[in-house]
Amino acid sequence: MKQISCQNCGNRVLVEKYSPIHTSVQWLQDAGTCPEIREGATGAGGTALVPTCGRLRASIVAADRAGELPGTTYAEPAPLPRELLDAAAGAQE
Amino acid sequence: MSATTPSDEIRFIETGDGYSRFARGWHCLGLADDFRDGKPHELKIFGQTAVVFAGEDGEIHMLDAFCRHMGGNLAHGEIKGNEIACPFHDWRWNGEGRCTKVPYARRTPLRARTLRWITMEKNGLLFCWNDPQGNPPPADVTIPEIPDYDAGKWTAWSWKSYLVEGAHCREIVDNVVDMAHFFYVHYQIPRYFKNVFEGHVASQYMNSTGREDIKTGVQMDLPDAVTRSEASYFGPSFMLDTIWTEADEQVIEAKLVNCHYPISENSFLLQYGIIVEKLPGMSDEDAQAMGQTFVDGLEVQFLQDVEVWKHKTRIENPLLTEEDGPVYQLRRWYQQFYVDVEDVTPDMTKRFEFEVDCDYAVETWEAESRVESSSTATAGA
Repeated sequence: MKQISCQNCGNRVLVEKYSPIHTSVQWLQDAGTCPEIREGATGAGGTALVPTCGRLRASIVAADRAGELPGTTYAEPAPLPRELLDAAAGAQE
Repeated sequence: MSATTPSDEIRFIETGDGYSRFARGWHCLGLADDFRDGKPHELKIFGQTAVVFAGEDGEIHMLDAFCRHMGGNLAHGEIKGNEIACPFHDWRWNGEGRCTKVPYARRTPLRARTLRWITMEKNGLLFCWNDPQGNPPPADVTIPEIPDYDAGKWTAWSWKSYLVEGAHCREIVDNVVDMAHFFYVHYQIPRYFKNVFEGHVASQYMNSTGREDIKTGVQMDLPDAVTRSEASYFGPSFMLDTIWTEADEQVIEAKLVNCHYPISENSFLLQYGIIVEKLPGMSDEDAQAMGQTFVDGLEVQFLQDVEVWKHKTRIENPLLTEEDGPVYQLRRWYQQFYVDVEDVTPDMTKRFEFEVDCDYAVETWEAESRVESSSTATAGA
């Protein structure tokens, strides 16, 4: 997975693409740090029920067009970015 | 070993050890009013036996079924006022799990408390909170209200349950990410499929159409319908799904519940139900019939799932393709409910999004299910 930053809010995520349509996004920060997700969150379930952030999506498309996200194929084991997540959680505290 | 390198190595299935505890979270027990028949109900749940009873005040409670006195089964007792009375010696237990009265004794052992589950009613459904650590439910871990549930907008629940034996309930949760099984097991062709996991919520966004060759009630008698679905698990066992069935410029909105509670490590009660938005000009009876058609179609589908679960093996190392959904990531999310709260790690709860590329699959499936003549079969009919 490749780390990219949102062009709008700087949110860092890990992205993987198997094809132009397939997109896998592992967030490293709390979703509530993204203004678009935060705005879309209403009621029980909160940010989890916001299907996507359009600006992050646009940033991923832009990164893909710029050749920063070379297509990969499924490989085992499934990506487990635990160290990155732990580091991100540590940095937030 | 890379997935792209051909290898002669035999792949073995890791079946793992399963789960040694029951999940933390809200579990739906069924329609709340079904428990208001003046009788105590016995439930086999979380490896235990529980009694669920509604007091005279209408509040529904859930206790360990066995009386702490001599082990009588409270589910075979009687509701007296707001308490449950043991059939053995008439000991009375209140909804808090306290013994309030021993009719033949001068003193009541007030300090004795029995095991109780916190209960909650939402959208006409009854829930209990299970936590092996005994903590109360956090305020942000709850079941959302269905908008206008009480406003007469929706039909009454069409509800069904089914006892599944010989499978752990994780099998049904796996369905959340299983794009391809919708074609083979549920006769739908997914055209858009995305998962989002965050915190205690796991969602699936799917647009699908029915197969040309096999129809089920899930299309609501609208064979060319496009089904849009936004489904979310709130915790380990309760999924609420909004379904829009679109055909002929008509949109029917429905709320589907797909939930379960574990009975043992190897059995669970699967429950599902639906409410359908009443359209202007449609009679309540017709709307209710539409819900029933849908839920009957679901039954056909779920029974096909069950048939698979009954005979499959547990598999901890599924072999996946790029068209499969994020099974491993879903299971990391699911794991949070099986560890102590202080052991929940960011990889279980941090937001994760996965959009499956369905294009190749759709092409294959359209060809496979195309009907040249007029020989359309109807599943389950």
